Amino acid sequence: MKSSNMFILSLIISLVIGNVAEAAEASVTILSPADGATLDLMAQNKVEYEVVPGPQGHHVHFYVDGRETAILRRLVGSHTLGSLAEGPHELCVKVVNRNHTPIGVEKCIDVTVE
Amino acid sequence: MDLQSLSYALTQVVHNFGAVAVVGGAIMGRWPQPITLLQQRRMAWLILLGWFLQGASGAGFGAISFAWYGQFPDIHGIALIALYLKVGCAVGGFLLAGAFLRYQGEWPERRQQAVWTGLIVLAVTALVAAAFLRWFS
Repeated sequence: MKSSNMFILSLIISLVIGNVAEAAEASVTILSPADGATLDLMAQNKVEYEVVPGPQGHHVHFYVDGRETAILRRLVGSHTLGSLAEGPHELCVKVVNRNHTPIGVEKCIDVTVE
Repeated sequence: MDLQSLSYALTQVVHNFGAVAVVGGAIMGRWPQPITLLQQRRMAWLILLGWFLQGASGAGFGAISFAWYGQFPDIHGIALIALYLKVGCAVGGFLLAGAFLRYQGEWPERRQQAVWTGLIVLAVTALVAAAFLRWFS
Protein backbone atom coordinates (compact mmCIF):
# COMPACT_ATOMS: atom_id res chain seq x y z
CA MET A 1 0.00 0.00 0.00
CA LYS A 2 1.29 3.43 -0.91
CA SER A 3 2.36 5.63 1.96
CA SER A 4 -0.24 8.28 1.08
CA ASN A 5 -3.00 5.64 1.31
CA MET A 6 -1.61 4.47 4.63
CA PHE A 7 -1.68 8.05 5.88
CA ILE A 8 -5.33 8.53 4.87
CA LEU A 9 -6.30 5.20 6.40
CA SER A 10 -4.60 6.00 9.69
CA LEU A 11 -6.24 9.45 9.69
CA ILE A 12 -9.69 7.89 9.27
CA ILE A 13 -9.00 5.32 11.99
CA SER A 14 -7.79 7.99 14.40
CA LEU A 15 -10.90 10.11 13.71
CA VAL A 16 -13.18 7.15 14.37
CA ILE A 17 -11.32 6.15 17.54
CA GLY A 18 -11.30 9.78 18.67
CA ASN A 19 -15.06 9.95 18.25
CA VAL A 20 -15.60 6.76 20.23
CA ALA A 21 -13.29 7.94 23.00
CA GLU A 22 -15.14 11.22 23.49
CA ALA A 23 -18.61 9.69 23.23
CA ALA A 24 -19.39 9.67 26.94
CA GLU A 25 -23.15 9.40 27.24
CA ALA A 26 -24.93 12.69 27.87
CA SER A 27 -26.68 13.08 31.20
CA VAL A 28 -28.16 15.65 33.55
CA THR A 29 -28.31 15.37 37.32
CA ILE A 30 -30.09 17.88 39.53
CA LEU A 31 -28.30 17.59 42.83
CA SER A 32 -30.62 19.94 44.70
CA PRO A 33 -33.36 20.63 45.43
CA ALA A 34 -34.80 17.15 45.51
CA ASP A 35 -37.78 16.26 43.38
CA GLY A 36 -40.91 17.18 45.32
CA ALA A 37 -39.07 19.57 47.63
CA THR A 38 -40.69 22.62 49.19
CA LEU A 39 -38.85 25.92 48.67
CA ASP A 40 -39.07 28.96 50.90
CA LEU A 41 -40.80 31.84 49.14
CA MET A 42 -38.53 34.38 50.84
CA ALA A 43 -35.24 32.50 50.37
CA GLN A 44 -32.79 32.86 47.50
CA ASN A 45 -33.21 29.36 46.11
CA LYS A 46 -30.57 27.68 43.99
CA VAL A 47 -30.56 24.68 41.71
CA GLU A 48 -27.36 22.67 41.76
CA TYR A 49 -26.74 20.54 38.72
CA GLU A 50 -24.18 18.38 36.98
CA VAL A 51 -24.15 17.83 33.23
CA VAL A 52 -22.27 15.51 30.91
CA PRO A 53 -22.89 17.00 27.45
CA GLY A 54 -21.93 13.92 25.44
CA PRO A 55 -20.65 14.17 21.89
CA GLN A 56 -23.60 16.25 20.60
CA GLY A 57 -24.34 18.47 23.59
CA HIS A 58 -22.66 21.81 24.22
CA HIS A 59 -24.35 23.76 27.02
CA VAL A 60 -27.62 23.72 28.91
CA HIS A 61 -30.84 25.72 29.02
CA PHE A 62 -32.78 26.16 32.24
CA TYR A 63 -36.59 26.19 32.26
CA VAL A 64 -39.21 27.15 34.78
CA ASP A 65 -42.70 25.85 33.98
CA GLY A 66 -41.66 25.19 30.39
CA ARG A 67 -40.30 28.69 29.83
CA GLU A 68 -36.58 29.09 29.22
CA THR A 69 -35.15 31.45 31.83
CA ALA A 70 -31.36 31.02 31.53
CA ILE A 71 -28.47 29.69 29.50
CA LEU A 72 -26.00 27.80 31.68
CA ARG A 73 -22.55 27.41 30.19
CA ARG A 74 -20.95 25.76 33.21
CA LEU A 75 -21.50 22.04 33.12
CA VAL A 76 -21.25 21.70 36.89
CA GLY A 77 -22.61 24.50 39.00
CA SER A 78 -25.59 26.19 40.50
CA HIS A 79 -28.22 28.56 39.21
CA THR A 80 -30.00 31.06 41.41
CA LEU A 81 -33.71 31.07 40.81
CA GLY A 82 -35.47 34.35 40.38
CA SER A 83 -38.55 35.04 42.43
CA LEU A 84 -41.09 32.28 41.95
CA ALA A 85 -44.75 32.68 42.69
CA GLU A 86 -46.25 30.64 45.46
CA GLY A 87 -47.39 27.21 44.35
CA PRO A 88 -46.12 24.25 42.32
CA HIS A 89 -43.45 24.69 39.65
CA GLU A 90 -41.54 22.50 37.24
CA LEU A 91 -37.79 23.10 36.93
CA CYS A 92 -35.92 21.58 33.98
CA VAL A 93 -32.33 21.44 32.81
CA LYS A 94 -31.95 20.50 29.13
CA VAL A 95 -28.75 19.76 27.25
CA VAL A 96 -28.63 21.65 23.93
CA ASN A 97 -26.18 21.61 21.05
CA ARG A 98 -24.22 24.58 19.66
CA ASN A 99 -27.28 25.55 17.65
CA HIS A 100 -29.37 25.79 20.86
CA THR A 101 -31.39 22.71 19.95
CA PRO A 102 -32.34 20.38 22.83
CA ILE A 103 -30.78 16.99 22.12
CA GLY A 104 -33.33 15.09 24.17
CA VAL A 105 -31.29 14.77 27.36
CA GLU A 106 -32.92 16.57 30.26
CA LYS A 107 -33.89 16.36 33.89
CA CYS A 108 -37.01 17.91 35.38
CA ILE A 109 -38.16 18.16 38.97
CA ASP A 110 -41.31 19.43 40.63
CA VAL A 111 -41.04 21.82 43.54
CA THR A 112 -43.54 23.75 45.61
CA VAL A 113 -42.89 27.30 46.73
CA GLU A 114 -44.47 28.29 50.04
CA MET B 1 -16.23 13.33 12.41
CA ASP B 2 -19.97 12.80 12.57
CA LEU B 3 -22.47 13.64 9.87
CA GLN B 4 -24.46 16.04 12.01
CA SER B 5 -21.46 18.22 12.84
CA LEU B 6 -20.36 18.09 9.22
CA SER B 7 -23.82 19.27 8.11
CA TYR B 8 -23.75 22.19 10.55
CA ALA B 9 -20.17 23.08 9.55
CA LEU B 10 -20.86 23.05 5.79
CA THR B 11 -23.99 25.14 6.32
CA GLN B 12 -21.89 27.55 8.37
CA VAL B 13 -19.39 27.80 5.51
CA VAL B 14 -22.17 28.83 3.11
CA HIS B 15 -23.58 31.24 5.71
CA ASN B 16 -20.18 32.86 6.28
CA PHE B 17 -19.49 33.36 2.59
CA GLY B 18 -22.98 34.78 2.18
CA ALA B 19 -22.18 37.29 4.93
CA VAL B 20 -18.93 38.27 3.23
CA ALA B 21 -20.76 38.78 -0.06
CA VAL B 22 -23.52 41.02 1.34
CA VAL B 23 -21.20 43.15 3.46
CA GLY B 24 -18.23 43.33 1.11
CA GLY B 25 -20.35 43.71 -2.02
CA ALA B 26 -22.36 46.60 -0.58
CA ILE B 27 -19.26 48.41 0.62
CA MET B 28 -17.55 47.95 -2.73
CA GLY B 29 -20.66 49.24 -4.50
CA ARG B 30 -20.71 52.39 -2.38
CA TRP B 31 -17.01 52.88 -1.69
CA PRO B 32 -14.06 53.35 -1.77
CA GLN B 33 -14.09 54.84 -5.28
CA PRO B 34 -16.60 55.13 -8.08
CA ILE B 35 -17.02 51.95 -10.13
CA THR B 36 -18.49 51.44 -13.56
CA LEU B 37 -22.08 50.54 -14.22
CA LEU B 38 -21.12 47.00 -15.16
CA GLN B 39 -19.11 46.59 -11.97
CA GLN B 40 -22.03 47.90 -9.94
CA ARG B 41 -24.34 45.36 -11.52
CA ARG B 42 -21.87 42.58 -10.79
CA MET B 43 -21.76 43.68 -7.17
CA ALA B 44 -25.56 43.76 -7.05
CA TRP B 45 -25.70 40.19 -8.42
CA LEU B 46 -23.14 39.11 -5.83
CA ILE B 47 -25.22 40.69 -3.07
CA LEU B 48 -28.42 39.12 -4.41
CA LEU B 49 -26.74 35.72 -4.35
CA GLY B 50 -25.27 36.45 -0.91
CA TRP B 51 -28.67 37.24 0.61
CA PHE B 52 -30.15 34.15 -0.99
CA LEU B 53 -27.37 32.03 0.53
CA GLN B 54 -27.86 33.72 3.89
CA GLY B 55 -31.56 32.88 3.88
CA ALA B 56 -31.11 29.34 2.61
CA SER B 57 -28.29 28.46 4.99
CA GLY B 58 -30.10 30.10 7.90
CA ALA B 59 -33.08 27.89 7.19
CA GLY B 60 -30.62 25.04 6.80
CA PHE B 61 -29.50 25.37 10.43
CA GLY B 62 -33.09 24.93 11.55
CA ALA B 63 -33.65 22.08 9.11
CA ILE B 64 -30.63 20.15 10.38
CA SER B 65 -31.84 20.53 13.96
CA PHE B 66 -35.29 19.34 12.95
CA ALA B 67 -33.92 16.40 10.99
CA TRP B 68 -31.86 15.18 13.96
CA TYR B 69 -33.95 16.07 16.96
CA GLY B 70 -37.43 16.71 15.62
CA GLN B 71 -37.41 20.29 16.83
CA PHE B 72 -36.01 23.67 15.96
CA PRO B 73 -33.45 25.59 18.06
CA ASP B 74 -34.94 26.70 21.35
CA ILE B 75 -34.54 30.46 21.26
CA HIS B 76 -36.42 33.26 22.97
CA GLY B 77 -36.21 36.95 23.81
CA ILE B 78 -33.12 38.69 22.47
CA ALA B 79 -32.17 35.78 20.23
CA LEU B 80 -35.62 35.67 18.67
CA ILE B 81 -35.56 39.43 18.03
CA ALA B 82 -32.11 38.98 16.43
CA LEU B 83 -33.46 36.18 14.24
CA TYR B 84 -36.40 38.29 13.06
CA LEU B 85 -34.00 41.14 12.33
CA LYS B 86 -31.79 38.84 10.26
CA VAL B 87 -34.74 37.50 8.30
CA GLY B 88 -35.97 41.05 7.72
CA CYS B 89 -32.53 42.12 6.52
CA ALA B 90 -32.27 39.12 4.19
CA VAL B 91 -35.66 39.79 2.63
CA GLY B 92 -34.99 43.54 2.42
CA GLY B 93 -31.49 43.06 1.01
CA PHE B 94 -32.67 40.57 -1.58
CA LEU B 95 -35.50 42.84 -2.74
CA LEU B 96 -33.30 45.93 -2.76
CA ALA B 97 -30.54 44.25 -4.76
CA GLY B 98 -33.15 42.83 -7.14
CA ALA B 99 -34.78 46.24 -7.57
CA PHE B 100 -31.39 47.78 -8.25
CA LEU B 101 -30.70 45.27 -11.00
CA ARG B 102 -34.16 45.79 -12.49
CA TYR B 103 -34.50 49.58 -12.31
CA GLN B 104 -30.97 50.92 -12.10
CA GLY B 105 -31.12 52.40 -15.58
CA GLU B 106 -34.17 54.50 -14.70
CA TRP B 107 -32.90 55.70 -11.35
CA PRO B 108 -30.98 58.93 -10.79
CA GLU B 109 -27.47 58.71 -9.36
CA ARG B 110 -28.65 59.90 -5.96
CA ARG B 111 -31.16 57.08 -5.59
CA GLN B 112 -28.59 54.51 -6.62
CA GLN B 113 -26.25 55.78 -3.92
CA ALA B 114 -29.10 55.55 -1.41
CA VAL B 115 -29.66 51.92 -2.38
CA TRP B 116 -26.01 51.07 -1.78
CA THR B 117 -26.17 52.81 1.58
CA GLY B 118 -29.33 50.86 2.40
CA LEU B 119 -27.62 47.60 1.45
CA ILE B 120 -24.71 48.43 3.75
CA VAL B 121 -27.07 49.19 6.63
CA LEU B 122 -28.97 45.93 6.13
CA ALA B 123 -25.77 43.88 5.89
CA VAL B 124 -24.20 45.42 8.99
CA THR B 125 -27.46 45.06 10.95
CA ALA B 126 -27.64 41.39 10.02
CA LEU B 127 -24.03 40.87 11.04
CA VAL B 128 -24.62 42.48 14.43
CA ALA B 129 -27.83 40.50 14.95
CA ALA B 130 -25.96 37.29 14.11
CA ALA B 131 -23.69 37.78 17.11
CA PHE B 132 -26.67 38.17 19.45
CA LEU B 133 -28.40 35.17 17.91
CA ARG B 134 -25.27 33.11 18.45
CA TRP B 135 -24.75 33.93 22.10
CA PHE B 136 -28.27 34.39 23.42
CA SER B 137 -31.07 31.87 23.24
